[in-house]
Amino acid sequence: MTDAGFVIAAYGVILGGIALYAALLARRLGSARDESGRTDDSDSPR
Amino acid sequence: MKTRILGFVALAAVIGAAVNGLFVVPADLNQGDAQRIMYVHVASAWLAYASFGVTALAGLAYLIRRDMRLDALALAGAEVGVMFTAFAIWGGMMWGRPVWGVYWQWEDPRLTTTALLLALYVGYLLLRRLTDDPARRAARAAVVGLIAAVDIPIVHFSVIWWRGLHQGPTIGDPSKILNPSAPLQFVLALLAMLAAFTLVWVYLLIRRYQLARVEWQLEEDARRGRVAAARQVAVPSGVEEPAG
Amino acid sequence: MNDLRRGLSVATAIARKDALSELRGRQAAGSTIFFAAIVLLLFGFALGPDSRRLAEAAPGLLWLAIVFGGLLTMARLHQLEADDGAFEQLALYPVDRRAIYAGKALAGAAAMLVLGGLLLPVVAILYAIPVGAAWLPLLAAVVLGAIGFAAIGTAYAGLTVRMRAREVMLPLLMLPIVAPLLLAAVKATVAALGGDPLGELGSWLQLLVAFDVIMLVVGAGTYGFLLED
Repeated sequence: MTDAGFVIAAYGVILGGIALYAALLARRLGSARDESGRTDDSDSPR
Repeated sequence: MKTRILGFVALAAVIGAAVNGLFVVPADLNQGDAQRIMYVHVASAWLAYASFGVTALAGLAYLIRRDMRLDALALAGAEVGVMFTAFAIWGGMMWGRPVWGVYWQWEDPRLTTTALLLALYVGYLLLRRLTDDPARRAARAAVVGLIAAVDIPIVHFSVIWWRGLHQGPTIGDPSKILNPSAPLQFVLALLAMLAAFTLVWVYLLIRRYQLARVEWQLEEDARRGRVAAARQVAVPSGVEEPAG
Repeated sequence: MNDLRRGLSVATAIARKDALSELRGRQAAGSTIFFAAIVLLLFGFALGPDSRRLAEAAPGLLWLAIVFGGLLTMARLHQLEADDGAFEQLALYPVDRRAIYAGKALAGAAAMLVLGGLLLPVVAILYAIPVGAAWLPLLAAVVLGAIGFAAIGTAYAGLTVRMRAREVMLPLLMLPIVAPLLLAAVKATVAALGGDPLGELGSWLQLLVAFDVIMLVVGAGTYGFLLED
């Protein structure tokens, strides 16, 4: 693998990983918020 | 939503810094293109340490004030931190192979310290996952996070002394980029990447914190639901409830 | 002053109780020491049969055996309280948590010291290491290593012994923490055995002391939070 290959591997995984994690968080946050919005027990403090 | 704006700004900053580091800045004379990896590697490492600082301090604050929001912050720091630590190690390996000829170098104190950092905080996350009671989980995690944070400086000094008499590789020395006599363009490229990554870091911390808060609420709701259901089952049978 | 005296008496009472249960404890302590010796034997099969290579590796292997045996030791020292529900009782008792920690850590350090001390002759025989000549610095290294391991082991054993997957959680949490201890202890052992040609023995022992002090302070400070569980 040429040097460029290692550079691409480094940037690819790191930047791609950040993007993946951000997307994952957004999805989990969305579904968790939906789930908690549906709960209607009124005595849980917010 | 301010956080969303932050997200887009961070995205733009990262793209800009990456383009700069990959295409605008020239390659290093000795290390060639591989040196470009240092920008993301060093930035990842600094944010990894910053994340674990957040985890340790938030945990300590939790032990003092018992506010579950602090525990959520500690969790966010640990998860984001594990990610950046993994990136730092990956970057270090991708840099090491072309420059040193090997993926791993025991004599590089930062690589070994970072590997231990990863081990410490993966342990932290596993501990959390294996503890069900939220208060217990928060307390245990806080203690572990604190001890891990205290261990890191010890590790740092011990591995530097460890290398001591073996002179580290001087040509392929990753700390060259932090040398004050490094070319200005390189320093600026590193600072740009660091700034961009910091914006990303703040954004991810906020989102992970929010997620932790919502998930905790859900946990609480479920727990309260179970308690209420259990109480409903016990009472109608006419059994006298014992006092207390 | 009264508090200090009360704390000390609590600590010694706990340490003595642990020491007694170790001595009476149905060969559990002995089994652990034997396990560590078997580990040393197995290292011979893994890395041998070249005796020069084994002699070079001996300090590292010794301390790895101490660490593995130590994990079992620390877990055992807390298992009794966990099984009896004594931790919850201790938490209610109005005594300084640090005294409880001190007692447990003292017992742990003593157990580790016995383990390390008994493994020295095993290593001397199996790997042809002249431990006799350098016994004083070696002893210092073992004592300091024992204290450090027990300092962090007491806190983490107290934490993990009531957990799910406790068998793996204690090693998982402890091994990264003790990496610098391991490193320093091995380096000190190498220096001691080789007559300290580079004069680094003192530095490594100092690192061990620093580790011990820091972990004792942090362990004592946080133990209360682990009991209140």
